[in-house]
Amino acid sequence: MPSVKPLRVSDETQTQTSVGTITQRPWNVIVWDDPVTPMSVVVVIFRKIFGYPNNKATQLMLTVHHEGRAIVWSGSLDRAQGYCVKLQVAGLLSTIERDS
Amino acid sequence: MAARIFVRRRDGRIEVRLNEDARAIVREAFAHVLAAETDPEHEWHASLNGPIDPSHDVDDPLATLNRQSEVSSNVELAVVSLAEDFLNDGEAWAWLCTLQIALRATITAKGIISNERLEDADEDTRDYIKTLQTLLFGLADVM
Repeated sequence: MPSVKPLRVSDETQTQTSVGTITQRPWNVIVWDDPVTPMSVVVVIFRKIFGYPNNKATQLMLTVHHEGRAIVWSGSLDRAQGYCVKLQVAGLLSTIERDS
Repeated sequence: MAARIFVRRRDGRIEVRLNEDARAIVREAFAHVLAAETDPEHEWHASLNGPIDPSHDVDDPLATLNRQSEVSSNVELAVVSLAEDFLNDGEAWAWLCTLQIALRATITAKGIISNERLEDADEDTRDYIKTLQTLLFGLADVM
């Protein structure tokens, strides 16, 4: 699966580096496949929640479909939890896990 | 070519082209999600509770909507906009989320965790799933 670069975490990383903070392992937001959710719905949800362009949202949706799961965002714990909740509110099966 | 059931108009609104039978199906799905949110005994209740409490979402996506004072969740907004002929983007999002939750709650309650289980499901369940998928396809197409 292609790596997913978080949209805004890069700014946080730069800020942390500039003040000498040790970078911690990020938290990944995972979306899991199911046998019924239409692909186009998953794309719409990724575009809406993360602001991803259509190509990236489609690429992530296909990763979910073919591999059973995909990392859709990585970054701080607070924001990962927030995104996980948004995905669940939108009806997708999502979890968070510490990057290995 | 099948008629489109949701159409994006030039003014940005989404026209809902559902007949009364289709609206009755949507109404039933929304009612089940609404009931499942508050009734622990409801068949769908377990599937609405993920590992993280949804009440932690503090962004309040409904804040910009005119009907915000009447609703506090996507399903409530979906219910109050059920009879509308035109939806704004916020209402369409609420419909999409609620229909998707109804779809996932259905398969969770029926133990449908794979394509094989889906094929083995009874005809009524498969028809209901197909109906929800058709509505979701149509809605996603205009969003």
